[in-house]
Amino acid sequence: MHEMSLVRSLMSQVQAIVTDNQAESADEILVEIGPLSGVEIELVKIAFVQWVSELGSMNARLTVHEVPLVVRCRDCNCESELNDFVFRCRECSSGRVQVVRGDDFRLVSVTLNESQSHV
Amino acid sequence: MSNKTIDVNRDIQAERREAAARLREHFTQQGTLVVNLVSSPGAGKTSLLEATCRHWCDQWKVAVLVGDLATDRDAERLRPYVPVEQLTTGGACHLELSLVERGLAKLPNERFDFLFIENIGNLVCPASHDLAEHLRVVLLSTTEGDDKPGKYPKMFRTSDVMLVTKTDLLPYVPFTVDRVTKDARLIRDDITVLEVSSLKNEGIDTWCRLLESKRTELLSKVVRP
Repeated sequence: MHEMSLVRSLMSQVQAIVTDNQAESADEILVEIGPLSGVEIELVKIAFVQWVSELGSMNARLTVHEVPLVVRCRDCNCESELNDFVFRCRECSSGRVQVVRGDDFRLVSVTLNESQSHV
Repeated sequence: MSNKTIDVNRDIQAERREAAARLREHFTQQGTLVVNLVSSPGAGKTSLLEATCRHWCDQWKVAVLVGDLATDRDAERLRPYVPVEQLTTGGACHLELSLVERGLAKLPNERFDFLFIENIGNLVCPASHDLAEHLRVVLLSTTEGDDKPGKYPKMFRTSDVMLVTKTDLLPYVPFTVDRVTKDARLIRDDITVLEVSSLKNEGIDTWCRLLESKRTELLSKVVRP
């Protein structure tokens, strides 16, 4: 289970954003996970809860958006959404396709609680 | 209380990927082809490296970083042939770049023609971690079944070469190289497929020639006319 390691990396990136913006904490962390990201959403949520309790101060919510797997054909340039892991263009059936979405675990945005800086 | 939303829109591993790309460029400049060997446990990664070292017989300067959860049994097997460092993860299911960098620091301070990274036996997690390799090679042994590529799409999608290992057992198992090749090419249509039996030393010459030609290809990018 490498989700622990990836969520640890996510948390340190969020912490850096909190510090850089002189905010008190992060309220909401929005992430995107695709079918070819290599991570299991349920395990990401479990890892998140564990890291939050380990880090103590953080009381952020994690929101996960599932995104589809999308490929672009190098032959006809058409984009196809794949429902399985058969990497073929839906228009021309070419196998020369490039993944354009759905192969990573992405930090989309962080909503900060800035109350401290306004005290 | 006031809130502000910061847009990031960045792959969580972006920083690690950039670090891997920098290290890969360093190896490219040195003329070292880095090969990341991935497979399930027992597919024959260490046996392949033994057969590769025997075949080359000091023709090339080779080093190996070998990952395991525990013990240095694999390193012991390879030590008679080449400089080798064992990376013990203590339970982690994959190698990360930081561990590879630590292993590199312990290898003799020389320039190598080939550096092999033998990953942890696991067809899932290692697929998500760039270890600065030029070539990712997935080994699939004939006893594992020819239906595996479709079951582990990320691993086969991110591998450049699929090595079908233990081909000496083909007469005894329900496995066909044709079927596994078709399955793998639904996931990556340009994956190179080779067959080897490290035990019988079959296909090792073709495998070594592939590595040599990949290294020449790599060097042609560095040495410009």
